[in-house]
Amino acid sequence: MTDGAPLRPEGIPGLELTGPHPVGRYAGALRDKLRMFARVQVFGEVFGFKVGGARVWFELRDADGALPCGMWRREWEASGIGVLPDGCQVVAAGGCDFYPGSRSASPGFSFAVTELRRAGEGDLLAQLERLRRTLAAEGLFEPQKRLPRPALPRTIGVVTGEHGKARGDVLAGLRRRGWAGRVVWAFAPVQDRHAAPRIARALQDLAACPEVEVVVVARGGGSLADLFAFCDETLCRTVAMLRVPVVASVGHHTDRTLIDDVAAMSCSTPTHAAEAAVPVDCAAARDELHARAGRLQTHGRRAIVTRARHLAALSRAPADHVARHRARLHQQLRELRASARRGLTEENAAIGRRALVLSRKAAATGVSVQREQVRARAFAATVHSAAEGGLARRRTDLQRLLSTLDAHDPQRTLERGYARVEDPAGDSVTSAEEARRLDAMVLRLHDGAVHVRHLR
Amino acid sequence: MSDEPDIKITDNTALPSYEEACGRLETIIRRLDSGEAGLRETLELCQEGRHLVEVCAVELDAVGRGLEELRLDELVARLEARPQAE
Repeated sequence: MTDGAPLRPEGIPGLELTGPHPVGRYAGALRDKLRMFARVQVFGEVFGFKVGGARVWFELRDADGALPCGMWRREWEASGIGVLPDGCQVVAAGGCDFYPGSRSASPGFSFAVTELRRAGEGDLLAQLERLRRTLAAEGLFEPQKRLPRPALPRTIGVVTGEHGKARGDVLAGLRRRGWAGRVVWAFAPVQDRHAAPRIARALQDLAACPEVEVVVVARGGGSLADLFAFCDETLCRTVAMLRVPVVASVGHHTDRTLIDDVAAMSCSTPTHAAEAAVPVDCAAARDELHARAGRLQTHGRRAIVTRARHLAALSRAPADHVARHRARLHQQLRELRASARRGLTEENAAIGRRALVLSRKAAATGVSVQREQVRARAFAATVHSAAEGGLARRRTDLQRLLSTLDAHDPQRTLERGYARVEDPAGDSVTSAEEARRLDAMVLRLHDGAVHVRHLR
Repeated sequence: MSDEPDIKITDNTALPSYEEACGRLETIIRRLDSGEAGLRETLELCQEGRHLVEVCAVELDAVGRGLEELRLDELVARLEARPQAE
């Protein structure tokens, strides 16, 4: 925002310089002055090519210096030159320009390019590509990648600049892994002409220590020229032949040095390289190990306890079976008793009923017996009286018969002086004739017998 | 059990590396989790597993005692001193 012409303050006392001038006016004058510089052609390598909404930007570099360059986007598109990779050598035509900026925008110097053409691959990149192809053809990118990388190295070698930011980044990466083993630092210069042999020597020394299991080579970002030490042929051949795996992190993720190709693994930052050197997250690994130990213990215990329970269940089975049978028998016994009790009760009731019936019948029978007894007694009385009458009659008859019988009794006759003659055989002799024939006879009188002999 | 040819009770006298121990431990736990191992195999695997847990714990302890920073020349000096000490 402009508020019209600003108030001019007093200048610095004692100075003879003109002014003070408003800075915007001075910046505008500077732009005008710079634009008056002669328009020229320059050449160099392109770095950091960016395409904006209206303009494209890049730096033009060589070993001695660099220029920030800008070009209208429509002119760049009209040239058909396309996006330029880093290191691409170009020839640019244009002149100096200055954007004076404003209260809300920064000023900036640029070389305003109006024409642009490629001048073939940059020397550095061309060299690099040739070397890359040679090393690849020799198979030197492979040996490192075949080396086994330990999951949990105890000792890690690190090659880096002693005072660079990469050193702290490596430690940060190791801490992120929860790794607290032994770090062996091999400090070396990482960007001048002497860097490559020193780095190679450091790597060889580290690899010579049997404790070192993996080596990290780390360097922060920089231009390709800065990183060129890591494209050194001898260094790359040394790395390819090392016995320990090398994890490289050189420059930004957009840079690709030859050591990145030769190493076992290439990472975008030193922190990532440290993490790659310790693939295991130690804290997580400890937790997991703890969990696994617990699982093993559980499995071991369960294997025994489960079987013990099964055995216990099996051993209980016969007892359970017997108990079930016992319970069933008890139940049956109870039912039997209950049934017997019920039967007895019913039987008692039936007997009671029968007894009642019988007693009733007996009572009825008693009446009839009484009646019969009365009848019997009456009959007996009748019989008795009848018998009494008959008896008297019979007694009279007998008396009469006895008298009759007495009248006919031979004994009575004998008692009256008569005798009975019997032969020896006891038969009665009733005639004289018969008596004459007999030699002996028996004269039976009323008081005894007299044997007589016939005299001749 | 006969369908599991890749799992064998291994001889645990040789000390495996951390990654070998972890890999084997994982195999053992997978086998135990499958529930197909019999009692004897289970107990043997548990014993071997405990040994491997010990191996891993020793390795993890070795990188958990605290960061030790050495310069290369210090390490070299130590290495050179060791044969003289012995």
